[in-house]
Amino acid sequence: MIRHLFKLIWNKKQTHALLIIEIWASFLVLFGLATLIFYNVRNYIQPLGFEYENVWAMSLNNNQDTIAIQEKVETIFAHVKGFPEVQSVSRMSDSYPFSQSNNSRTVKYNNVATQIGVVVADENLSKTIDIPLIKGKWYRNADSIGKYIPVVINRKAEALLFENQSAVGKILSDYDGKATWIVSGVIDHYKDKAEFMENKPFLFELLKSKDIWNKTLVIHVKPGTDAIFEAKLVKGISSIAKGWSTDIVYLTDARQKQHDMTLIPVLIFLIVCSFLLINVALGLFGILNLSIARRRGEIGLRRAMGATEKMVTAQFLGEIWVLSTFSVILGLILAVQFPLLNVFDVAAGIYGIAIVTATLIIFVIVTLCAWYPSSQASRIHPAIALHED
Amino acid sequence: MLANYIKIAWKVLLRHPFYTFITLFGISLTLTVLMLLTSFLDHLIGAHYPETKRNRTLYIERIVMQDSARQSMMSNSMSFKFLTDYAKTVKAAERVTIFSYFNGSNAYVGSRKIKLNITFSDADFWRVSDFKFIEGKPYNEQNIANGDYVAVITDDFKKHYFANSDEPVIGKNVEIESINYKVIGVVKGSPITRPFTHADVYFPYTAPKSNYQNSGMVGNFIAMVLAKDPSELKAVQSEFQSNIAKIPLPGNQGGFKYNILEVRSDPYLINFLTAILHGGPGLRNIFYGVIGFVMLMVMGLPAINLVNLNVGRILERSSEIGVRKAFGAPVKTLMWQFIVENIFITFIGGGIALILTYILIQIINTSGWIAYADLTINFKVFLVSIVVCLVFGLLSGVLPALRMSKLSIIDALKS
Repeated sequence: MIRHLFKLIWNKKQTHALLIIEIWASFLVLFGLATLIFYNVRNYIQPLGFEYENVWAMSLNNNQDTIAIQEKVETIFAHVKGFPEVQSVSRMSDSYPFSQSNNSRTVKYNNVATQIGVVVADENLSKTIDIPLIKGKWYRNADSIGKYIPVVINRKAEALLFENQSAVGKILSDYDGKATWIVSGVIDHYKDKAEFMENKPFLFELLKSKDIWNKTLVIHVKPGTDAIFEAKLVKGISSIAKGWSTDIVYLTDARQKQHDMTLIPVLIFLIVCSFLLINVALGLFGILNLSIARRRGEIGLRRAMGATEKMVTAQFLGEIWVLSTFSVILGLILAVQFPLLNVFDVAAGIYGIAIVTATLIIFVIVTLCAWYPSSQASRIHPAIALHED
Repeated sequence: MLANYIKIAWKVLLRHPFYTFITLFGISLTLTVLMLLTSFLDHLIGAHYPETKRNRTLYIERIVMQDSARQSMMSNSMSFKFLTDYAKTVKAAERVTIFSYFNGSNAYVGSRKIKLNITFSDADFWRVSDFKFIEGKPYNEQNIANGDYVAVITDDFKKHYFANSDEPVIGKNVEIESINYKVIGVVKGSPITRPFTHADVYFPYTAPKSNYQNSGMVGNFIAMVLAKDPSELKAVQSEFQSNIAKIPLPGNQGGFKYNILEVRSDPYLINFLTAILHGGPGLRNIFYGVIGFVMLMVMGLPAINLVNLNVGRILERSSEIGVRKAFGAPVKTLMWQFIVENIFITFIGGGIALILTYILIQIINTSGWIAYADLTINFKVFLVSIVVCLVFGLLSGVLPALRMSKLSIIDALKS
């Protein structure tokens, strides 16, 4: 049966060439769309790893003031902490959660080197945005006296650098191979560019007490704290440090911005693709309607020879399935290059799921488009069909 | 005769409303997507308010320093002093403005917080750009020399900040980061998609917190250089590059030793693409890949669909061709009929697309999705895409018809 169908298709390969190209192109579009969606969905379902509700990020800039920066930052820190509305406050680098900036370094352990995202933060960060630890403990400010800088890494970084061993207590080296950091704890997830970010290796480094560069304050306020308090806070700071700039960002707003940056392109892509596919489905329906109606004589003959309605429908569906299989195989040749050449740094599993989904959708569409005209045509009475010829 | 052809075309369209619908859907959808896309690109890179002189403006956005082995790199905006020394001195230019990239800030009104973007600029900023002043005037060299605490605000910010936004606000104070500034002018704002001129509040660069005093080469300032004429852009560029070449190499910037120094002055489009084109082969491949894929999708698929459908449907016209030939119609006349038919349906599709695009653009412009969005229909693109549609229509509708009309009458009539 299948061999027969292949022969039927092969005999009319010229007429079917355009149809095959159309299904092939649709397959590629669907493959692209499915990859994009599955990539984002897989990232989304992994936990974020920290809390952002009622958390503000305040960037400080000393501008032209160069006198006693460290003392002023400490005074501001104490001032902010003193308010009853503030539950907890932490000082860190510019790359606060959901910020647009990021920082990364090469980190080595024995012979393994990897690029790791770096955040510089003090001892309060895990408490302020509630990052649970799974091994070891979060470093203390007092730990800075040791030979190495204490750090906390996430599980992804631990897996990359240490494979199956525990990281706690191990010494990490920088790009030049100089022993620099000591791991004091391991956290689970930290997706600092919001839910749609891939879970990447991360490292938190203890902020040195003499540091004058990293002065973003992450402030966890009590629920219901409003802009009146915020204005009071900013006023207080400008009286402590004249000429400094302050910019307060709510983490919920920053998170929304990160989401928009991911979702708007996906949404536009989705809308355009769905219109394209509707277009293709309608066109396919029209073409199949025409070509099946033209074969009434053949249908009549088969019916007269004892074929049931179901058998006739099955033949046409089989033909279009064989055609789609041709197209999908052609598409697959192109699609498998993505995981093989690792074009977009996406896990091979994502491509696999995307290929399966795209194939399934293609078969559903062609079946829907072919089913109505072929079942319509199979109902023709053989006497009428044969008489017309 | 033409009226007759159109009448026939209309009847043919009505004979199979479903197929007509598919064809029109394909044509109008493709054109709509294409026009929306180009309208958005035009919004991003075309010369529009307030950067209406973009065709003769050069943008200086970053200084790139590298060591001799090109191992480490530092890329940043520049200091006010650097731009004054090397960009402001370009003699071939009509004007040069130095200003900062916009920066986030907050203002508090009662219990409300207003998020806003601020920019520091010199007085030439208002001459290089073409802002429309609804009230008041820009700050001038005198304000800057005096170090006045003045500000130019946008109409949008005025509406948010002042309780009674119908009254003029010139001379009133706005408090931003605990400093009071006097409002000197109100302008119609620039959308965020034009990052060079976008901001909510503009200050003279001598206002507090602008950091124009920074010595050294890097800072938070950028520049726009206006040439007298688009043909003089090359001359301005080469003069600026010769200024840059005077900087002694190798040098040291804040502890970073560099042997290679690059400061580009590019027209907007090239500056816009620099980040992509100079971002390494990976980024460039992704960029071209995405563009190719989108073109394949948006143009290729509907074209194949249209050709497919047309080729399939031409057979049902064979008896019509046969009958007309039997009554003595020459091939030329038959061809004209099919051509008119194709042009007719393409124009209907184009008309629908035009209306659809207009509606969508209105929705985008008024939705506030992008503040101050001013998307317009680009008729040049519309004409080109109509021509492309016609070519595909003619290839797929008329060529098979031509082949068929060359058949002998008997064969055509039989099928």
